[in-house]
Amino acid sequence: MNDHSTVMGSGAPGGREQAVVPDKPKNPFGQFLRKFSKQKLSLIAGIFIVMLFLVAIFAPFLTPYNPDTPNYDKMMAGPSADHWAGTDEYGRDILSRLIVGARLSLAVSLSSVFIAAVIGTILGLLSGFYGKWLDRLIMRGSDVLFSFPDILLAIGIVAILGPGLLNVVIAVAVFGIPSFARMIRSVTLSVKETLFVEAARSIGAKDSRIIWRHIFPETVPSVIVNLTMKIGTAILAASSLSFLGMGAKPTEPDWGAMLSMGRDYLSIAPHVVYFPGVAIFLTVLAFNLLGDGLRDALDPKMKN
Amino acid sequence: MTANKLLEVDGLKTEFKRDGGSITAVDGVNFHINKGEVLGLVGESGCGKSVTSLSIMRLLKDTPGKISGGAVRFEGSDLTKLKESDMRRIRGKDMAMIFQEPMTSLNPVLRIGKQLEEPIRLHLGYNRKKAREHAIQTLKLVGIPRAEELVDDYPHQLSGGMRQRVMIAMAMSCHPKLIIADEPTTALDVTIQAQILDLMRRLKEEKDMGMLLITHDLGVVAEMCDRVVVMYAGRVVEEASVKDLFEQPQHPYTKGLIRSVPKLRQNVRRLESISGNVPDLSRMPAGCKFAPRCPFVMEKCLSAEPDLVAVEGRTDRKSRCWLTQIDERGGETVHEYSAD
Amino acid sequence: MNTPLIEVKGLHKSFVVKKGFLGESKYVRAVDGISFAIRKGETFSLVGESGCGKSTTGRLVTRLLKPNEGEVWFNGQNISAYNDNQMRPVRKEMQMVFQDPYASLNPRMKVKDIVSEPLLIHTKMSSRERDKFATELLEVVGLSSYHAERHAHEFSGGQRQRIGIARALSVRPSLIVADEPVSALDVSIQSQVLNLLQDLQEEYGLTYLFISHDLSVVEHISDRIGVMYLGALVETAGKDALYDRPLHPYTQALLSSVPVADPSQKKERIILKGDIPSPVNPPSGCRFHTRCPSCMDICKQIQPVFQEVEPDHRVACHLYDETIMGKDGVHIN
Repeated sequence: MNDHSTVMGSGAPGGREQAVVPDKPKNPFGQFLRKFSKQKLSLIAGIFIVMLFLVAIFAPFLTPYNPDTPNYDKMMAGPSADHWAGTDEYGRDILSRLIVGARLSLAVSLSSVFIAAVIGTILGLLSGFYGKWLDRLIMRGSDVLFSFPDILLAIGIVAILGPGLLNVVIAVAVFGIPSFARMIRSVTLSVKETLFVEAARSIGAKDSRIIWRHIFPETVPSVIVNLTMKIGTAILAASSLSFLGMGAKPTEPDWGAMLSMGRDYLSIAPHVVYFPGVAIFLTVLAFNLLGDGLRDALDPKMKN
Repeated sequence: MTANKLLEVDGLKTEFKRDGGSITAVDGVNFHINKGEVLGLVGESGCGKSVTSLSIMRLLKDTPGKISGGAVRFEGSDLTKLKESDMRRIRGKDMAMIFQEPMTSLNPVLRIGKQLEEPIRLHLGYNRKKAREHAIQTLKLVGIPRAEELVDDYPHQLSGGMRQRVMIAMAMSCHPKLIIADEPTTALDVTIQAQILDLMRRLKEEKDMGMLLITHDLGVVAEMCDRVVVMYAGRVVEEASVKDLFEQPQHPYTKGLIRSVPKLRQNVRRLESISGNVPDLSRMPAGCKFAPRCPFVMEKCLSAEPDLVAVEGRTDRKSRCWLTQIDERGGETVHEYSAD
Repeated sequence: MNTPLIEVKGLHKSFVVKKGFLGESKYVRAVDGISFAIRKGETFSLVGESGCGKSTTGRLVTRLLKPNEGEVWFNGQNISAYNDNQMRPVRKEMQMVFQDPYASLNPRMKVKDIVSEPLLIHTKMSSRERDKFATELLEVVGLSSYHAERHAHEFSGGQRQRIGIARALSVRPSLIVADEPVSALDVSIQSQVLNLLQDLQEEYGLTYLFISHDLSVVEHISDRIGVMYLGALVETAGKDALYDRPLHPYTQALLSSVPVADPSQKKERIILKGDIPSPVNPPSGCRFHTRCPSCMDICKQIQPVFQEVEPDHRVACHLYDETIMGKDGVHIN
């Protein structure tokens, strides 16, 4: 479509004109689906994520064994027909623990990213719209957060708040805020200059109306894309914290905690580490691929 | 007469791929340009005038567009059949193009001189020193002061008017026989436009070139052109000498277009206007494409499309309208279509 | 004599273009001391080439920009220092129509919401009343009520401009500032929109500030016209006076540059040399002296005063200054 309008651009009075074919009235959601379905890899990733969510929701019905019941007869047994992913050092079924763990991982990462998105978007909108000292304050604050390596910041926060999943959520949310704030600020800055925002101002719209009714909707695609991408990072961060013993309790079926516990038996029972590792890897990859696909479908300009 | 024809566009048809289907942006366009003549190609956005010029130059390669029929004969040889390498030899040498927005057609990171020298060395076979001299000569020809210094400037250092002069110098540098100018003054201010039009008129007379001037501005047409072709919805709807066109427009679209432009010191209370909008190329009306907006529409217009035929038997005067064709035969229709 | 609806006195506006390494700033003097008045019910046009400051003037009048100096009087109140809250009731009285019908309508809003947004801000109408009003407005500007539920991107340029006009009209303003409202449109559509603007003026007694670079369009729609060059007014006059007897050499050149859509009319053309100078560094004295065909020595040093030389015909040019030209009575025209 872009090529198209370049070709026609030269015929315009005043420099602007419709492409040869004026855009047909199209359902924007249909358009999105059409574009998105062309990205095969992202589509597969999307299907994977949907299935993951279904697994998380229906976990109690899917687990072949009780994930918490030890079986001392079958400690660290390799994968078999009874236990597809083998058992851990207490003889608990790893597959069942992974299924229940999906719940924990998704809950932790989704809630933390959601908190980060809400706070970051509000800060980004205010920062971009009002500029001046507010912008400087918010952006310098983001710079400070950005200057720590992500995981180090999270460790610091958990160290202060104490271990536990709730604190992991807070820690991961905090280091997610600046990326949202920055991205939304830059979108706000460009939308603020558009003519329709000036038009809104000219009819006497209040700032709050301009921000929420006119600028915010333009930032939604960026928020969605960043949100998806950040879920992968958040899963990784939450797992890392659990792995370091700062998140989920070792008894909880958290993927990171499972990894941490299995580490001691790496040489004799690698499957104990292998399956949670693969689960984390695939999930993070799927969210990133989905994010890529969403970005291309929603907002090709963001690609850089 | 044929020997005098510099360029002949014969039944040109160009299609664009879009959403799996294809739409016809230019459909059976016919016209010719004689040596030393300025032909105006007039129409509104989306009428296909720019696509026509790009098709002539065969510059559609990087677009979803493709020439799907017809011929473009330049001095007798069909350009649509040429190999790309042969076409390159003609492009920039025998045929050159001037675009609307010079900033996008000039390379921002190359000095003006370098950009001018490139085609000169390629087409005229000059060495670097001679090419530079020739470039400076050409810049002087288009009225650029301090041309010796300006060759070492970058495009962004020049004003819009100066950049357009550089574009014209580039087009002129290899002594083309035909210049295709696509809205060359649309992006310019009116006092600068007057300068550029004056320059183009002078150069055309001095160098005896043919020119295809594509524009939406009827004032520019009246001042610059010898003959005019009016396009609507991918088709030629009228062809006439500039005098005939303004004095006795034949096609209702041309009439409407001329009357809807406010003219200086004309003092009318209300402008006449053409109702409705330009049709979407993917949803064209059956029959005459102008029929839904035409004040003289008849039943026949809705079902059958008229051909572009000579008016009153004159070869230099054509119109694509049932009205003129019916008048001519005393009420008889020229073609029979089964009307539904 | 009609009272002015809007009066602009000595308006100045500069923008910072570049902050240098050493902290020195460069300023574009976009509008540099202009004064004019618009009477109730008339169409006053500002015409000029790019960079002459006509759009900035429009935004100063509607207070989308705050002037550095000077006053804007609207309906007897000086609005030049009003804050957003004070401006809000004034905005109900002055609405804008923008050049670019593609960018000036929010792509994510339905047409009825775009058109009725001013009503939401300025009136206490219920949403049903607003919707009803919006569909009526659409009919007034020549669209159909069934268009109300669509989005702006489904419309062509001319239709979008009609939507923009309907929005401006919704709160029944007394002044509409139209910034190049037809220059992005095709010729056949342009005349439709111009006719609509004239009809609405007649019907609702509107006053227009019309901003355009197109002299033919300006002549068609205006009662009085101001010609701008590099941030300043060089001439203001009634339409007939300006087009029949342009006084300023720039106005004369501008008028003679317009291509005429009539091949039988071959006119003498004044072709100005050179480009429009940069407003960052405007020429000394008269701003136009670098391109003026009748430039005198005094023009390079002293800026001419904008003064009335005939009733309702003002010009800023030394040629018409009796203290300078009176002695030898030279009159170049």
